[in-house]
Amino acid sequence: MRIAAGVDVGSTQTKAVLMQDNGERKILARALTDTGANVLKAAESAFHKCCESAGIHSQEVGYVVGTGYGRYKITFGNAQMTEISCHARGAQFLCPGTRTVIDMGGQDSKAISVGPQGEVLDFVMNDKCAAGTGRFLANAAEVMGIGLDEIGPLSLKATQPVKIATVCTVFVESDILSYLSQGKRPENIMGGVHLAIAKRTLSLARRVNIEPEVTMTGGVARNCGMVHALETVLGRKMQISPDAHYMGAVGAAIFALEKMDDTFENTVWREHAAGSRN
Amino acid sequence: MPLVAGIDCGSGFTKAMVVSQDGPGADLLVLGKGQTRSGINVDQAAEKALELALNDIPRSDVAYIAATGFGRYGLSFRDIAITEITSAARGAFYLCPASHAVLDIGSQTTRAIAVTSTGKVQTFKSNDKCAAGSGMFIARAARYLEVPLEQVGDLSVKAAHPQPISSVCAVLAESEIINHVSCGVSVEDILRGIHDSLADRSGALLKRVGLARTLTFIGGVAHQHGMIDALRQRLGVEVEVPHDCEYVCALGAALLGLRRLAARN
Repeated sequence: MRIAAGVDVGSTQTKAVLMQDNGERKILARALTDTGANVLKAAESAFHKCCESAGIHSQEVGYVVGTGYGRYKITFGNAQMTEISCHARGAQFLCPGTRTVIDMGGQDSKAISVGPQGEVLDFVMNDKCAAGTGRFLANAAEVMGIGLDEIGPLSLKATQPVKIATVCTVFVESDILSYLSQGKRPENIMGGVHLAIAKRTLSLARRVNIEPEVTMTGGVARNCGMVHALETVLGRKMQISPDAHYMGAVGAAIFALEKMDDTFENTVWREHAAGSRN
Repeated sequence: MPLVAGIDCGSGFTKAMVVSQDGPGADLLVLGKGQTRSGINVDQAAEKALELALNDIPRSDVAYIAATGFGRYGLSFRDIAITEITSAARGAFYLCPASHAVLDIGSQTTRAIAVTSTGKVQTFKSNDKCAAGSGMFIARAARYLEVPLEQVGDLSVKAAHPQPISSVCAVLAESEIINHVSCGVSVEDILRGIHDSLADRSGALLKRVGLARTLTFIGGVAHQHGMIDALRQRLGVEVEVPHDCEYVCALGAALLGLRRLAARN
């Protein structure tokens, strides 16, 4: 059995995925852990948790590819790839037909234009400001005193979303408090917050060519309110895999399988670093 | 002698100053000043600040109230609303007439103002889009570092090797600051790095209005010595900080209020 792993060390959470290839590629197991201060420890812990849940010994894993911002600290890994390539590759695998990836992570957000084979054509990234990231939503949830898992469903109930003028994570706190003091309903405040961030993300994504199918990846894809808000401003449905949160790790695991197969050099994968940074 | 109050309803604090003047050209008399957290009710905060400024003076002696600042239109008992840009320029010109550039760092907004030789606003640029470069950036950082805001300036001045902060976003800077702390960088060096970052962002605004040789630095952040040092070093300018730097807008509003009142009578 050929088994390979992808480990995605994100700014907030570390994800690991085990994949096997018996003629057909299949996800064997996934694991998630908070990244915290010790990046290597988080990567090891996610990797071993993954092996454990698949019921295999870590030595059975033939190849490990690291990705995410902490990828160079994964000393047990065989290779590293950028998270841009991995999200594109993962999305193409799990959501065939993907031509645009919108990735909203813990501390950055990206839009990636993807070619037919999952190759990166172009990308833009916002890592300068917390707007459009999980961090923004976590902050808003905290100010409202609501769990992060609840804000999405709550925002879907909005009947008259409030206008949020700022996308600054710090300033939105006073916006929220002032709306609360005016007696605005929490769902309308949260609806406004999600819409503001969706618009901001759309303006980022417009800098690459947005072509269907659009696939959303990253931890924020688990927030149904954000998905709905993004689909509203985009004017089209997006593909959301149940593994959207693990997409970077899935892509890394596919690359790991390919490296193992030694077919890697022959794949059409290329990364055009043409994407301008925000 | 009629009293005039200038009330600066800022996003963080509300400041009030009560003044009087015995006719145009006579010496300005500052009778009192007071400040309180703005909170969410503008009237309530303004009432409180005014009460502190008045001390024992009866409220009925106040003939005119000039409101300024972010919340000025929310102040129901105002006689006039003046933009904080105009009041900052007027107040700064009154206190430091030789300086033609004003930097006002507030809780949520940073403003660079070019002032004419008669104290009028020539041009201005402000950043109110995000907390980067605002006083809130320092407040957040102080919170992560568990340093009381009043001590930030004195600690920052002692920095031996300022730690550059690369994150512009006040929220993303949190992770960076935590990282520096865990790598053993001193609190002093981190705070100075934050002041340097703020000075650079202020410098960018000031350059767009025309940076002069002397800068009048106003707003609550001007109490922080580290910030003054950072501005001097990073921008290469003389920095003048007037006494009661956080009341300059309130003073400017009061000065304009006096003129309005004189014109009305």
